Amino acid sequence: MSTFTTRKSLSRRTLLRGVGATLSLPFLDAMVPSATAAARSVQPAKRISYIYIPMGCDQSRWTPGSKDSLDKLSPILKSLEPVKQHCTVISNLELEPAYPGTHATSNASFLSAARVKHTESSDYYNGTTADQIAAKAIGQQTQLPSLELAMDLMQVVGQCDNGFACVYQNNLSWSSPTTPLPAEAHPRLVFEQLFGDGGSKADRTAALKRRASLLDFVKDDMTRLAKQLGPKDRDRVNHYLDSIREVERRIEKAAAAVAENELPDLSRPTGVPASYAEHARLMFDLQLLAMQGDVTRVITFQLARETSNRTYPEIGISDPHHPLSHHGNDPAKIERLSKINAFHVSLFAEYLAKLAATKEGDSTLLDNSLLLYGSGMGNPNVHDHTNLPAIVAGGANAGVKGNRHLRSEKTVPLANLHLTLLDKAGVKLDKFGDSSGVIGVL
Amino acid sequence: MSHQSDCSSLYRSALVRFILFCLISVSSSLALPPRAALERFCIDCHDRDAKKGDLDLDAILGDGIEKHSETWEDVVKQLTARHMPPVGKKRPSEAEYEQIVKSLIETLDAQPPKLVASPTLRRLTRVEYQNTVRDLLAVEFDAKSAFPTDEISHGFDNITVGDLPPALLDRYITAAQKIARQAVGTSDKPEINSVRVKSDITQEYHVPGLPLGTRGGVLIPQVFSREGDYDVQIRLQRDRNEQVEGMRGEHQLQLLLNREVKSEFTIKPAKDKNYEKIDAHLKARLHIPAGQHDVGVTFLPKGSPVLERLRQPYKASFNLHRHPRLSPAVYQVTITGPYDAKSTGDTPSRRLIFGNGSTDAKAVLTPILRRAWRRPVTDEDLARVLPFVKEAKDFESGIESALAAILVSREFLFRTETKLDDAALAPRLSFFLWSSIPDDELLAQHPLDVEAQARRMLRDPRAKALVTNFADQWLYLRNLDSITPDARLFPDFDHNLRESLRAETSLLFDDMVKNDRSVLELLRNDRTWLDERLAAHYGIPHIYGDRFREVKLEPEWQRGGLLRNGSILTVTSYATRTSPVIRGHWILKNLLASEPPPPPPNVPALDGVISESLPIRERLAKHREMAACASCHNLMDPVGFALENYDAIGRWHAEADSRGGFADGSEFEGVAGLEDVLLKRPELFVSALTEKLMTYALGRGLEASDAPAVRKIVSRAKAKGWKFSEIIVGIATSVPFTMKSSAP
Repeated sequence: MSTFTTRKSLSRRTLLRGVGATLSLPFLDAMVPSATAAARSVQPAKRISYIYIPMGCDQSRWTPGSKDSLDKLSPILKSLEPVKQHCTVISNLELEPAYPGTHATSNASFLSAARVKHTESSDYYNGTTADQIAAKAIGQQTQLPSLELAMDLMQVVGQCDNGFACVYQNNLSWSSPTTPLPAEAHPRLVFEQLFGDGGSKADRTAALKRRASLLDFVKDDMTRLAKQLGPKDRDRVNHYLDSIREVERRIEKAAAAVAENELPDLSRPTGVPASYAEHARLMFDLQLLAMQGDVTRVITFQLARETSNRTYPEIGISDPHHPLSHHGNDPAKIERLSKINAFHVSLFAEYLAKLAATKEGDSTLLDNSLLLYGSGMGNPNVHDHTNLPAIVAGGANAGVKGNRHLRSEKTVPLANLHLTLLDKAGVKLDKFGDSSGVIGVL
Repeated sequence: MSHQSDCSSLYRSALVRFILFCLISVSSSLALPPRAALERFCIDCHDRDAKKGDLDLDAILGDGIEKHSETWEDVVKQLTARHMPPVGKKRPSEAEYEQIVKSLIETLDAQPPKLVASPTLRRLTRVEYQNTVRDLLAVEFDAKSAFPTDEISHGFDNITVGDLPPALLDRYITAAQKIARQAVGTSDKPEINSVRVKSDITQEYHVPGLPLGTRGGVLIPQVFSREGDYDVQIRLQRDRNEQVEGMRGEHQLQLLLNREVKSEFTIKPAKDKNYEKIDAHLKARLHIPAGQHDVGVTFLPKGSPVLERLRQPYKASFNLHRHPRLSPAVYQVTITGPYDAKSTGDTPSRRLIFGNGSTDAKAVLTPILRRAWRRPVTDEDLARVLPFVKEAKDFESGIESALAAILVSREFLFRTETKLDDAALAPRLSFFLWSSIPDDELLAQHPLDVEAQARRMLRDPRAKALVTNFADQWLYLRNLDSITPDARLFPDFDHNLRESLRAETSLLFDDMVKNDRSVLELLRNDRTWLDERLAAHYGIPHIYGDRFREVKLEPEWQRGGLLRNGSILTVTSYATRTSPVIRGHWILKNLLASEPPPPPPNVPALDGVISESLPIRERLAKHREMAACASCHNLMDPVGFALENYDAIGRWHAEADSRGGFADGSEFEGVAGLEDVLLKRPELFVSALTEKLMTYALGRGLEASDAPAVRKIVSRAKAKGWKFSEIIVGIATSVPFTMKSSAP
């Protein structure tokens, strides 16, 4: 089965599959670990990215066998083998604000570490999420401050989790307590957001030039107008001119990114791949391209939604995910649940391998990026929010070492991990959500 | 009026306005009501010492009215609404009220009009942008999905439009390129259009526009700028388990082009509940000529007998847990093309742009520039856009670039009024009545005959914007989309019903605009507009099919007029129950223009103070026992109670307690009683409507100095049987509308 990626199965070229369109990514054959961070000076991570999995996991098959390292990987984490030198598994994390246990709060509090308002109406209220705090600090340099992605095409309507508005379950990312940012699952729409019409390097350069010339036209227009106006209105026009310069800057950024970053010819994927795995790989490939092209530095990705009843026929699981997660301690059900958990991890592992194989300067995309993979739920059978599954990956240049298993005796708030990751991305906060400090050893 | 909308200042002086009755002293030259009236009714509370609500009449009585016209306008407002003096204090008789108000108004109206500056630069709203692109280039563009929401102030989204954030400018550039490309049709690069069907739409019945006898699906009118092959791919709705609901047996799906069947597909139930590939084969390649065509996707209904079940089936079926779909539904249709593109063909846009087949850039661009910039075109103007044509690889793509430039130009995106002459008045008029640019006739006329033009424009189909843009905001219909009644309590609510509710109110307003009826027909009407779904919702028999039609009403149906429209009753309710407070506030604000101030910042929490298990009427009564709440809730709640016969989605329940009242002491029962009171003094409602229309027309909040103009319009309309056109013409010819707006 190819779902557990090994080094061998990574081909030199991989295909971005849309319906009727393909897009090829150049791939470096070396899957060797990049130089460890030791030789480098520590600097803030350039980007940060969060991958969410719903409904926790089977912890008995998740927790690594070795105490401090990842030398002995657990069944669910087995696919991390080729990239484990970039990974740290953190055990005994807790998301206290998500109690009393629900799916809605697992998702909504995961990145906010806030207790959401219990409401089904439009007066919903969460905390600003960690990714958006990062976006305000490190996302301003790029074309998109942040990118929100998901896998489920439907916005759930009607009844969601008990007494909670559906926005909690649908949206991971909140730019303010009342502003959930909807995630896009359609590869083409994501592509257009990132690269417009795409095309070859020359095409994209030409497209940016056309935008720049339109912008020149507006600028000229506004400058003339400013001369005809009184002081108060001139002020206003000066604000417009500021906006024009800002857009100019973005176009220049984008043009520089096109020139400096070797991206393959990009053709838009037209549809949504029929299989979940293909769809997920395409979404990961788009994230890789977004990072490689420096279009954005902050990404959230919901790999599946809480209470999802998706079945996974590609790995032989025909039971829906949500009922399986309420396994009632039936060993057969737990085993099937763990297969879904392992399948999700394997998709993440493939993505990490690609990031590690993509050069950036004399380093790699992975070494310059911090990733958190995890869930807001621990044991789904009882809806608890303790002993959450969590993997931190990448960040070598920010001083994050890999091949480690961190486990403290006492439970640690997930917010501490958020605080630590933000800190490593250069965002200094005293406190985040219910945090009680940073995780110094990370 | 400005004090109505400026909340903080309003609250500060709220008490004044509630407790004040006044008369004026003596300014020798002005005709004022006798000081005696003031002494009798007002001065007790509003003298130097008591100064209730911050109003000190002693301080202003020595001056002429013109020095304090804002305060006096307020006084007029309170007296006209009979809010002051409060019930329980000594109050003037009806005749005395009228005489006092008349005397004040005479003085206020005699003041010379004041110049109120409106903003020099105003960006087009989303609706205006969309309509303008339609009228300029015959391109249907969805501005709602392309641009962020316009912020609302004074109840409308065309007030605070002076900003241009970078993100918006960025999107303007993208939109301009897209529109220009579609208009000219030079590009042979495949375009992708994905249409998604809202997930809470029930697809068990016929969809208007699709052939009779079909079920569900979607109709997509699209302009194809080039002839060629187009791929159409269809996906089915999944529930939150990623499964296709309602898959019992096989289903037939048809793909139609202009109602002609082009492909037919069979959808078979999936084995092992694996629905991933169930719709993978729903794709076809169609050869489509250039021009506007309707792409339709729909199901053939299954010839099954009527469902027999114990419970009456819901009309809504879209949600797995409450009311599952009975049959599969369309989620998304993606049209990609052209492949193997042929000629550009004859599209409405190309006809508009290239007209007689001219290949002279100047000849092509001059009329477009004139309409886009709403003024005569100079050589200098042309010199700015012609380089785009010269630099292009061929003539048509040059025109495309020039169009894109025009669409991001300041004079297209912004309405700039540095002085108000005919050139500025024409767009004022067209954006007021059409939410779009002037047409050639309006641009050509000098001097502008405002009244004749306004009447002509009202008869034009573009005046529909008064329904879709003005009424949509005034009546809160725009909020309908974000209203989702609790699915447990109201399992029969879906998007289909939402759209039917909206249509009823839109058709009521449209009927008034089109047939120039009395605006009072908005309040009471013996006709309404229904389709089968809405009729069933209201319990009105014998209406079949999804076509809306005018229905003569029986009194026992309890319908007709805004206050009995399900749309309004729904947008003024909570998800789980009615809200007499919101309904009362809505009526005071939108129908009477006497909005109570917002709650004070330190408002005490109700939780724990008043038991949640009490009926709403009792809870609110307890609430009004608190002094901080009573002053405003005494105004709002009793008005809202009159509508208690209608539930949170507008259904009639005869048994409810609907006794209500106004702060002037009048009492009434039910919606009919409330309507009687409103119709007894129609000036109040017509003033409110006029103020709303005028705010929308001017793009700014009204000020005290606008009040004389409003009164003039209302009395003009009264003399003409309250006809809608009289109010419109009144506004278009009013001083605030035609006066120079701001200094250069």
